Amino acid sequence: MKEKDLLFKQIFDTNSKKIFHLCYGYTGDEDSANDLLQETFLKVWQNLDKFRNKSLISTWIYRIAVNTCLTYLRSEKRQAKDELTDNIIETRPEEFSEKNEQVALLYKSISQLEENDRLIITMVLDELPYHEIAEISGISEGNLRVKIHRIKLKLTELYNQHARI
Amino acid sequence: MQEFDHIQSLWQSHSVEVKISSDEMLAQAKKEVKSISNRSILNIAGMATSFIAVGSLCLFIDFQSWTTYAGIMIVLLAIAALTIILAQGHRLISRNDFTTHPNEFLVSLKQYQLSRFSLYNKMYWIYAVALTLGVGLYLIEVVTYMALWAQILIVLFSFLWMIFCSTLVRKAVIKKDRERIALLIEKFERLGSQFKTQS
Repeated sequence: MKEKDLLFKQIFDTNSKKIFHLCYGYTGDEDSANDLLQETFLKVWQNLDKFRNKSLISTWIYRIAVNTCLTYLRSEKRQAKDELTDNIIETRPEEFSEKNEQVALLYKSISQLEENDRLIITMVLDELPYHEIAEISGISEGNLRVKIHRIKLKLTELYNQHARI
Repeated sequence: MQEFDHIQSLWQSHSVEVKISSDEMLAQAKKEVKSISNRSILNIAGMATSFIAVGSLCLFIDFQSWTTYAGIMIVLLAIAALTIILAQGHRLISRNDFTTHPNEFLVSLKQYQLSRFSLYNKMYWIYAVALTLGVGLYLIEVVTYMALWAQILIVLFSFLWMIFCSTLVRKAVIKKDRERIALLIEKFERLGSQFKTQS
């Protein structure tokens, strides 16, 4: 097997779960997240030769995933975010539990943030270092800290609103 | 009142399952890259074959009228222009780097989409007019060698085909493009305002 193939498989095994979680947080839907994951790694494969080790490979992959998510276009076939998040709750009655309900509410709250904020907060939730998030999203670290603080407040507020209903 | 720490622990406790294995992803990536490139190359090859096929008419058939040669030349020029555009598109696909800065990436993508939209709009008319003129000039001599019923059939078919292309097909293409570009503009403006608040 070629060296590039082995490298790609290693990269996929190491990063796919976190990238999938990022896409899931962005779309709130497993199928769409799966499509975005595959699109991201397709681009990773296409551009692997261009990676020049100027940053961590995980940072580079995150940046591709963020760009892929941001350019993700909603076609007529794709449903509105709220409907999708409702489907997560409705279509899995066997998995119903208080925790699952809280998770569904969390995804619903994330889906109500602005697109860019959604991606930033999922990286924060996955405990990516701030300097890495700044590099991925192209924002200065100072501005990012302010922005993250604002998103955290907004997300907590949205989550509490839904939890009260 | 739930705090952010609770939200974070909830997020981290929700384990997600990637449904595709690295082997499957590798196989798919290879297949897709090949198919994108193949499709683009096939388009170019198809256009090049049409160019050779139409061009060979001049080499193997001795036409008597200048209108036939003029018609063939116009069609050849139209095919050549479209082939060049397809080749440029192919070059863009193969050069595309998705790892640039998000702001620059979005701006360049917006510019690319807008220029392509405007190009296709203009090209549609140029291509349609060139083909209509070319085929029209070509048929002036060619139909004279055919039976009357074939002449009528060919003229009628060409006439209906051109009406169909310049009405229904054109409308559908423009509508689809307009919707696509409107969606893109709306999305990029929304994203642009988000980026402005950060920088």
